Amino acid sequence: MSLVTYLLQQVVNGLTLGSIYALTAIGLSIVYGILRLINFAHGDVLMVGAYVALGLLGASGGNLWGALLGAAAAAGLLGVVIERVAYRPIRRAPEVAALITSLAVSILLQNAAIMIFTAHPRTFPVPAWLTQLHAVGGVLFNTLTLITVVTAAVLMVGIHLFVARAKAGIAMQACAQNLVVAEMMGIDSGRIIMLAFAVGSALAAVAGAMLGAQYGRIDPFIGFLPGLKAFVAAVIGGIGSVPGAVLGGYALGFAEILFVGLLPPELSGYRDAFVFFLLILVLVARPQGLLATGGEREA
Amino acid sequence: MRAIPVVVLAGGVLALAQSFLNPYYLRLVDVTGINIILAVSLSLTNGLTGVFSLGHVGFMAVGAYSAALLTLPTARKALILPDLPAGLQQVHLGLLPATLAGGALAALCAAAIGYPVLRLRGHYLAVATLGFLVIVRSVLINWERVTRGGVGISGIPPYTTTWWTYGVAALCLYVTWRLTQSAYGRAMLAVREDEGAAAAMGITPSAFRLLSLVVGAFFAGTAGSLWAHLITVISPNSFWLTETFALVVMLVVGGMGSTTGAVVGAVTMTIVPEALRGLEGGIQVAGLNLPPLFGLSQLLLALALILTMVWRPQGLLGGRELSWPRWLRQGSLPRRANK
Amino acid sequence: MRRACVFLLCAVVAWVTAPVGAQPQTVKIGALFNVTGGMSSIDAPGLNGAKLAVKEWNARGGVLGRRIELAAEDGKTDQTTVANAMSKLINVERVVAVGGLNDSTFALAAGPIAQKAKVPFVIAGATLPNLPDQIGDYAFMVPFTDDAQAFVGAIYTVKTLKARRVWVMTDKAYDYTLTLTKFYKQKLLELGGVVVAEDVYQSGDKDFSAQITRLRRISPPPDALFISAVPDDIGLIVRQIRSAGIRIPIVGGDGYDTELLVTIPGKALADNIYFTTHVSLTSKAAVVANFVKAYTKEYGRGPENAFAALGYDTFNLLLDAIRRAGRPDPAAIKAALEQTRGFRAVTGTISYEGGRHVPKKSVTVIKVVKGEFQFATETTP
Repeated sequence: MSLVTYLLQQVVNGLTLGSIYALTAIGLSIVYGILRLINFAHGDVLMVGAYVALGLLGASGGNLWGALLGAAAAAGLLGVVIERVAYRPIRRAPEVAALITSLAVSILLQNAAIMIFTAHPRTFPVPAWLTQLHAVGGVLFNTLTLITVVTAAVLMVGIHLFVARAKAGIAMQACAQNLVVAEMMGIDSGRIIMLAFAVGSALAAVAGAMLGAQYGRIDPFIGFLPGLKAFVAAVIGGIGSVPGAVLGGYALGFAEILFVGLLPPELSGYRDAFVFFLLILVLVARPQGLLATGGEREA
Repeated sequence: MRAIPVVVLAGGVLALAQSFLNPYYLRLVDVTGINIILAVSLSLTNGLTGVFSLGHVGFMAVGAYSAALLTLPTARKALILPDLPAGLQQVHLGLLPATLAGGALAALCAAAIGYPVLRLRGHYLAVATLGFLVIVRSVLINWERVTRGGVGISGIPPYTTTWWTYGVAALCLYVTWRLTQSAYGRAMLAVREDEGAAAAMGITPSAFRLLSLVVGAFFAGTAGSLWAHLITVISPNSFWLTETFALVVMLVVGGMGSTTGAVVGAVTMTIVPEALRGLEGGIQVAGLNLPPLFGLSQLLLALALILTMVWRPQGLLGGRELSWPRWLRQGSLPRRANK
Repeated sequence: MRRACVFLLCAVVAWVTAPVGAQPQTVKIGALFNVTGGMSSIDAPGLNGAKLAVKEWNARGGVLGRRIELAAEDGKTDQTTVANAMSKLINVERVVAVGGLNDSTFALAAGPIAQKAKVPFVIAGATLPNLPDQIGDYAFMVPFTDDAQAFVGAIYTVKTLKARRVWVMTDKAYDYTLTLTKFYKQKLLELGGVVVAEDVYQSGDKDFSAQITRLRRISPPPDALFISAVPDDIGLIVRQIRSAGIRIPIVGGDGYDTELLVTIPGKALADNIYFTTHVSLTSKAAVVANFVKAYTKEYGRGPENAFAALGYDTFNLLLDAIRRAGRPDPAAIKAALEQTRGFRAVTGTISYEGGRHVPKKSVTVIKVVKGEFQFATETTP
């Protein structure tokens, strides 16, 4: 394997991982944009989405798209319920209260999943055509990788257009810039926040299903670390912005893969330290992220 | 000083506990003491200056590992850590100097990361401090010559006693109390309530945030040392997210920004999960086929936390302090204006 | 503050004085497993095995003519909680012996408490060598140790698979995986093998593509891959390695003994894998077949992994020792445990010889062919 092939292969690896981070980061980013809430439970919504997708995949006899759609719908609903029950009552409370509530929701979802599904990992079987291996000039990838990357790209462009062009999307931007003024302009902020949770959670569920399908197994803990890393991605890219979340997600995916791929094993163990060091660096040097959004509000 | 009879009383209770209490309850008393140190030191950082730190367990880990390396008998060190730097190899200290050293090293780490990171605020700061925890864990796993990596350090002498634990806890409470009552403490509160106004009054917000972080980290380090010498085995997994959340919950339950609230939170959150054991672990042979309820207590705690946040986000004490002398006189809780 | 103290004191007094302890007509033993948290996929089957053993003994009339009461506690994959639970079992529940735990970090946190109280502690599945020596003379191990299985694995690699150049990947997060790799490499080098390259990951990682891509660069390819992993991760790793078109034999330890090794990669990809473990659950031996049948009947599914069998063995061994001791007294049980010779357990024959509290047990090598676990060989190192 030549060095070029080696690097290309690592790029493909980074692209897959980055797609999942990016999909997860979008939801966190738009919610944070409006509510200034780090939703620790976002990763657990991803986990729930993965379990729903697994169930639907089994029930439908391997219909991938149906499973994705069903998981997205279920998780979207879950997101709305969480918002209504846990976050809305404390919207006026100090921001730390919201952070803690999201931690509690995260613990709740994890333990509910343990009680329902047990902590024993579940196999995530996918139809054989999805794991079919392709080789282009020595670079290997399977159909699923292709689908993951393309689906992620389509969804991200769609969300970007929605936020930038659709009326509800523009209202979302207005809420992110200034919630009070947006309300004065007649925007129903409650519905917009609900929409942000629904869309973000649905995307997380797609990421969860992809994660399950790509790696073949899920357990009640799979969501937490991706959720945390997605937040890192969102911050690196510039939190509150959809293109920023996407950029951050891919940057993080590549950084993680290349860190392990290019450094000797004695150093590659420090990958997570490196990721968060990067985060601190970005926060200190460029707190608005790589793609700054306007209207950074004092929290 | 009015505190003296209370200290004497507390000492008497501890002495009684030591001689009469069943070892299980005595152990819970010790664990509670360590949790009090952790929660109070975190409340010093979080509550006083509004620095919401998720990296507290990282400081605890620094304290635990450095103290363990100092108290481990030299023969055992030679056996399990042959590549330790020669200086460390020969050292064998008692609990007190090792604990102080652990605390000092944790404080040093806090100063090092605090300087750049404390310029951030709110959520960014929370995530940056979480980053510190991740970095500490990474180092513990990968710096095998000194930490033994994932294997962890075992055979730590069981030096921790109720006296040491509550001695450090008392010191921690005293320091916190003095700090809050001093001009420094007032300045910290000013920073928490309105940074701009504080700065206008000539207070340097970053200096006070740093001070609260460093002092908090020192006590977290000492708590780490006490914990290591109680459990006698530490590994990178001992200082991770579960522990972080447990600590945050303690603080929230008691109410942020209140020292006594942190104490109440630590006591509650140590005792309640143990008391809930009966609910889930009480499956006896007669009921072999009872559905497994393990995990129920975590679920209930999370639910309780959400409900607390919805109905009483200020915690049990709501930022107020319990104060003994007045309670003795009036039997009522005084309100302290720190809103 | 004072009110809180008084409240706490009242609570504690009420709790301490609450009636506790076993009734005299029962024998009470403790089971300590991490039924929730990260260890639960290993420890929950262990507790199931333990309960099954106790149920069977009670169905046969208990032990010493008394009913057996099992006090089960959850350690929650948290060292403080594990230590608290051990202390509660001994000091509040007043059990005469404790069995359980499958990871040495937790066994080392709980063990000293049992040792101090002089209550026998039978470790179900932690395989760290010298674990009983670190805790004391009241600790016993049911499984073989990692040095034993790593040696058998290395011998199998070199002698049977005829592989000399081995690629090694290790999970850095566990003492189990690190210890296994250490002893495997030691034996491999002794037998004239070489480690062509080493890589690492951390349990919980989902993506091994960077390591695999690095492996694909090695030229000529290694003869075998030794991957030291825990059950939760190994299925993922095999799937990704095989999906990358690498068909080289994979060798590992008892962490592979899980159906996830086959279900995650699928039957076609779970091929050419060899691992050392406690027992072949597909074995036709009566003791194994009966256990699998009873477990399936009790829980509606077959044993999840070998830790179910180890939990079952632990409590059978313990109850057998109580029977031999003649009275439910910790010191007598300890003495009876030390006298254990040729105890026929599901995971092999247990004898504590020469004052050692680690059994001399046979190591089974399982060969995975197209998703089928096949018995390869059984040796006593």
